[in-house]
Amino acid sequence: MLVSKSKGTNLLRSSEKRTLTRFLSLYIILVTMLLLLLGIFYYKSQEELMFSNQRTILSGYANQQVKALKLLHHYFPERTEYPRNADFRSAIYDIEGVKIFSTLEDPVVNFEKVIYREGKSIHFVKRLDDYYLGAKFLFVEVDENKEWYDKTMADIVTLGGLTLVVLAIFGLFFVKLFLRPMRNSMMLLDDFIKDTTHELNTPISAILANIEMMDTDIMSEKNKKKLARINIAAKTVSHLYQDLTYLTLNHNRQSKDEWIDLKKLIEDRVEYFTILAGSKKVTFDLDLKYSTIYIDGIKIARVVDNLISNAIKYNKRSGNIFITLRKNHFVIQDNGIGIESEKVSEIFERYARFNTSEGGFGIGLNIVKSIIEEYHLKIDVKSVLGEGTTIRVDFTKGTIDE
Amino acid sequence: MSKKILMIVMLSAVLFAETSAPELYVENEKVEENVYEKNCIFCHRYLPSSLERMFMTYLKAYSGEYTFKASLKAFLKEPREETSMMSDLFIDRFSVKDKSKLSDAELKEAIDIYWDLYNVRNKLH
Repeated sequence: MLVSKSKGTNLLRSSEKRTLTRFLSLYIILVTMLLLLLGIFYYKSQEELMFSNQRTILSGYANQQVKALKLLHHYFPERTEYPRNADFRSAIYDIEGVKIFSTLEDPVVNFEKVIYREGKSIHFVKRLDDYYLGAKFLFVEVDENKEWYDKTMADIVTLGGLTLVVLAIFGLFFVKLFLRPMRNSMMLLDDFIKDTTHELNTPISAILANIEMMDTDIMSEKNKKKLARINIAAKTVSHLYQDLTYLTLNHNRQSKDEWIDLKKLIEDRVEYFTILAGSKKVTFDLDLKYSTIYIDGIKIARVVDNLISNAIKYNKRSGNIFITLRKNHFVIQDNGIGIESEKVSEIFERYARFNTSEGGFGIGLNIVKSIIEEYHLKIDVKSVLGEGTTIRVDFTKGTIDE
Repeated sequence: MSKKILMIVMLSAVLFAETSAPELYVENEKVEENVYEKNCIFCHRYLPSSLERMFMTYLKAYSGEYTFKASLKAFLKEPREETSMMSDLFIDRFSVKDKSKLSDAELKEAIDIYWDLYNVRNKLH
């Protein structure tokens, strides 16, 4: 094995991280909601406790005030001064909810409750049996002691935060435990690909070099066709080899960005794939204008190669591939089998394949995506099942020799 | 004989006073009396419980303005011992009042005046 396991592990990280992030986000949202619910219950219970403590005192105040109101009612209108007390404030409302008199500091009253918090105060409501001065409702108000509130909130934040952290650590541990089998199988597949890749290099190079060197002039037409088939097969394997090499080795290689003539590159790659396209009678239709891009030559070649290769692979017999190149974008369009529009977003996933009749590992478009993202390019895929696929790559930055 | 004449004159004066409302004069100008003054004050002035105390009794029983007015109106239109706010002693002595002969509109106006006159809301401080 030429490539270490640690590199393989790194290659798996992106999909693993995505799953991990999604699971943890969902888990943390659910846990937070649960903790919030518990926090609300705790808060309510503490509030009830505070109310029950206050109720006895406030009820005493209310009875005291009722007696004073009774007296005032009896002596009214000789006495008209509303009874006041230093310990509390009060208000009286009639049966229709109309205010008769009030000394409340928080004037908003609730006729439905017995005791409640309003602004900075606590209101206690007493319903009178005899409506002295017409009062059906007596509101007694005292300043709220915020001590319980501060303590409750501190408890909720501290305990809630601590529980959230502990549960998040548990969640992370569990998700890693559950992901381990998937991680192992992905690593196995990656290791297999890496090992295989390194065994392919020498024989493929030998085959392609010898095909180039063969003198086709003295060959019969029959043998020429056979040689062309060998050439196609070897180039297909070579293309696969280059993708695999890119995946296994090029991630760790320093990029050598330079100005690349895209017109020349596309023409070269089209020529390279002509024999492969010819095997399916697929023809190229090129409309290329001069354009340059500042990028690593190997990487942009992988983008173009994979897009053309896919356009051939998923084309129908005697299909067409239209390639358009403009100053800041190029488009590769085929009239092949296409895919369902809802699956378009999945085509860049590694090992994603939508047609088992064609060979491949499902890594080509994953490579394209990683390069596109690395250079902040924009890729747009439009596909209609049975009609074909159009892929547009925009490179608004670094298009001219600055 | 002169005693008899004097008694007849006084009795006539009292009887006259009970059957028609007095007319008010301020600085020799006749003041128009409202329906409350004409009908309520006039009758209640001979009762030991003032209209103000009666108001407080009603207020203690009915609390709100609309409830107060509606209950009082209903009582005035159909006075009964069971619905009276007055004590049994009071009713035994003075009996339940007669049905009011005022129209609905007049009753409403009289009660509105009565409410505005004794309503406690604006008098508390």
